Amino acid sequence: MRMGRRAALAGLVALLPAMALAHGPTRQKVTVTTELAAEPAEVWAAIGNFQDFGWHPAVHATSGAGGNEIDATRVLTVGEAGGPTIAEVLYKYDADKMTYSYRITEVAVEVLPVTNYSSHLTVKPREGGGSLVEWRGAFYRGYPNNDPPPELNDEAAIAAVTAVYQAGLDALVDRFGAP
Amino acid sequence: MRWSTGSVRPEALALGLACALAAGGAAGDVAYVTNQNSDEVSILDLGAGMERARIPVPGKPAGVVAGAEGFFTVSPDSKTVRRFDAAGAETGRVNLDGGPIGIAHDAARGRIFVSDWYNARLWVIDAGAMEVTGTLETGAAPAGLAVSPDGRWLVSADKEADRVSVFDLETLGAPRAVAVGTRPFGLGFAPDGRLFVGNVGSNDVSVLDPASGRVLATVPVGERPYGVAFARGRAFVSNQYADTVSVIDLATLAPVAEIAVGEYPEGIDATGDGGTVVVANWFSNTVSLIDSDRLVVTGEIATGDGPRAFGRFIAKQGD
Repeated sequence: MRMGRRAALAGLVALLPAMALAHGPTRQKVTVTTELAAEPAEVWAAIGNFQDFGWHPAVHATSGAGGNEIDATRVLTVGEAGGPTIAEVLYKYDADKMTYSYRITEVAVEVLPVTNYSSHLTVKPREGGGSLVEWRGAFYRGYPNNDPPPELNDEAAIAAVTAVYQAGLDALVDRFGAP
Repeated sequence: MRWSTGSVRPEALALGLACALAAGGAAGDVAYVTNQNSDEVSILDLGAGMERARIPVPGKPAGVVAGAEGFFTVSPDSKTVRRFDAAGAETGRVNLDGGPIGIAHDAARGRIFVSDWYNARLWVIDAGAMEVTGTLETGAAPAGLAVSPDGRWLVSADKEADRVSVFDLETLGAPRAVAVGTRPFGLGFAPDGRLFVGNVGSNDVSVLDPASGRVLATVPVGERPYGVAFARGRAFVSNQYADTVSVIDLATLAPVAEIAVGEYPEGIDATGDGGTVVVANWFSNTVSLIDSDRLVVTGEIATGDGPRAFGRFIAKQGD
C-alpha cells in the first residue's frame, strides 16, 4: 500500500483534542472483495494468523500476544521501522469458517482517520474454483463532532479504509493470481 | 399513539397498553426501520414478513419511535425530527441543532423527547405542533431514551457520563442520576417497570428501579450490547459486535440463550403479542425475526442500507 500510505501520511492535520470514545452520529461501512486463483485453505494459511499481518504491503512489522485466541492483541507498525502504530484486538476467530474479526484499540486519526473501527476478514470458496476474500469494516469518521474538516469527514474515512483494504487485497492477487 | 397534545392520564395509557396486549397478534404489527446509510425508512409488514414500502428520509435517520398513528424519525446529519402517518407520508417536522439521535414518545402528554448527543440535553417537543417547548439537562452524550410503561418516567442513557438520567414526566424537574456500567447507549423498560440499560463498554446490562434509582443487578451479555426488547417474560439484548441476541429470564435474570442473528445487530423490538422479536442487522441490511418462545430465528426481511432502528420501532396493533 505504498500509495495508500503516502496518501494517509500526506493527510496529516492539526491534532484534535483527545475524544477517543466519542464519535459522529453516522457509522460507515466498507466491503472490498477480491477473487484469487488459490484455494481457500492456501489463502487462509497466508492471512489467517492474527499475529502476522505482514502480507499487507503497508505493514512493516506485527508484534502481539495471545495468538489467535479471543482478546489477543497485536500492534502494527506502518511503513517502516519507527513508523506509526495501530493497536488492535481480536474479538472473533473461526478457523473452520476462515474468518476473524478485530477492532482498533488505538490509532491516531492522522494515520487512519477513523474511530470505533471494527473489521472482519473472511476467505470463502469461489464458485468454479479458487477463493473469494472479503474484507469488511465498520467505523465512524475521525472527527467526532459536527462540521468535520474535510480530511476527517465521512468521505475521508471511507476513502482511507477502502484504500487500505484494496492495497491488501491487490497484494494477494499479486501473490496468488486471479482466477 | 397520539400526535395531538392531550391530557390523558398515565393510568389511561396503561389501560390502553393492556388492551393492546390483550388484542395482540403480529398480524397488524408494522416495523418502521431507519436505514441510516441509504436515507430511508423501510416499512415492514411483520404479519406478512415482507417490506411494504421504502420511503426516502434524508439526513441519515437513526432514531425512531412508532405507534398506531404513525412514527417519528431523527436524522442526525440534517438535525431534523420528522413525523409521519402510518403509511409513511410526512405530516410535520422540526429542525434542531447539535446532535439529535435518540427519541421517545410520551403519548399520554402529546410530547416527544429527543437526545442531543453533543450538548448533554434533551429537547422537549410538542408532538402536535412539532415545536420545541423546552430542554432538559442530562449527563454527557445522551443517546437512548425511553418512557416507562406507566407513563411516569423518562430516562436517558448518558453514554460519556456512565449514567442514566431519570426524569419525572409530571414535573420534568432535575433528573436523578444513576451510575450504571460503562458507556450506556440503549435502554428499555420491562413490562414490570424495571429499567434495563445496555452498557457497550462493559458488555453488560444494568437493571434498575427507576423510582428509587437503585441498581438491582448487573447481567453480563455479549460484546457491545446495543438495544433491549422484552417478550414472553424475557429480555432480548442485541450484541452489536457478537452478531447475537442475548436472552435473559426476567424472573431470575439468568442468561437463557444467545441467538446468532445478522451482522451488527442494533435496534430491537417485540411485536404486540410478544411472539416475535425483530432485530435490525446494520451490516447485513436485514431484520432477523426471532420466535420468542422457541428462541430461534424464523426468518429475515431485507431492508435498505444500514438499518439502525434505534428506538421502539414497531407499531403494535391497538397502540
